[in-house]
Amino acid sequence: MAASLHTRFSASSLISSHDLCHLSPHANGWKPSHMPQSYKLGRTIQRSLRGSSVVSPMALAANASQDTDDMYDDLFKKYGKVVYKSSDQKSPTAEVDDDAECLSFAVALAKIASDVKAADIKLLFVKPLVYWTKFFLITTAFSRPQIDAIRNRINDLAEKQYGKFATGDTKANSWTLLDFGDVVVHIFLPEQREIYNLEEFYANATPIELPFENEQRFGR
Amino acid sequence: MIQPQTHLNVADNSGARELMCIRIIGASNRRYAHIGDVIVAVIKDAVPNMPLERSEVVRAVIVRTCKELKRDNGMIIRYDDNAAVVIDQEGNPKGTRVFGAIARELRQFNFTKIVSLAPEVL
Repeated sequence: MAASLHTRFSASSLISSHDLCHLSPHANGWKPSHMPQSYKLGRTIQRSLRGSSVVSPMALAANASQDTDDMYDDLFKKYGKVVYKSSDQKSPTAEVDDDAECLSFAVALAKIASDVKAADIKLLFVKPLVYWTKFFLITTAFSRPQIDAIRNRINDLAEKQYGKFATGDTKANSWTLLDFGDVVVHIFLPEQREIYNLEEFYANATPIELPFENEQRFGR
Repeated sequence: MIQPQTHLNVADNSGARELMCIRIIGASNRRYAHIGDVIVAVIKDAVPNMPLERSEVVRAVIVRTCKELKRDNGMIIRYDDNAAVVIDQEGNPKGTRVFGAIARELRQFNFTKIVSLAPEVL
């Protein structure tokens, strides 16, 4: 389409230039009685259009546009509809693998927390809601020494087995937060848990069933 | 560019409405505070019947500034207002929800709690 438009445009521009150069000698003596002359003039233009001297630039232009078309076709074939794509994007399978790895890490952390008798452990998959992390682990501890114990155990496990280091709180706090990048651990005192009510804020997140919870229920 | 005497909006439900910066924490003689800095502020206007009252002195984290924030990738973020979130001495937010969009730089400054309470992170 672009090529045909281009050729048309070039043809019309050629006609006008021919018009001008043919008209200029007759410009002074132009009268309605000179109709046959003007007719002749039109014929000459037509003839000159048919001539090779006019066709060759048109063909050249068509060739150039065809070349660019071919180039774009090649690019489309190579990269698809979107020519530019950022290089840090992962393939869907790699992303799923990544999620699975984070999930196993989060479950391991939850298991540690339950070993230190943290209550009401919830693991939320928040990746669809927020872009900056994948999993929230929300637990309740009943005293600051217990928070310290959970924090230390979690940090040890993450460092030794997974090689991850937490940022966030460095000492026990009423809301202790450990940020492992893809997994964020919140340890609350019961009062603070009720106040901040993170589960309600992230109510749309998918809760993930924890394996040991069921065991405990069966045990009781 | 927050300096002492700057008035800021409050971007949480702690009960304060307007703060005035009286000191920037973390540097002895710094002129301006930016996103992620902790300031000492006095409450200039408060919601009635809430725990925080007028003329109380609190700590707050700056979450939005009119002065543009530049990122390494060339992105520039500028907000319409100067806003802060009231925190306590331990760094926990006094409110339970944060309003408006906040920048992800707060996470790097160890304010992930504020980030996790925010509805939108830029």
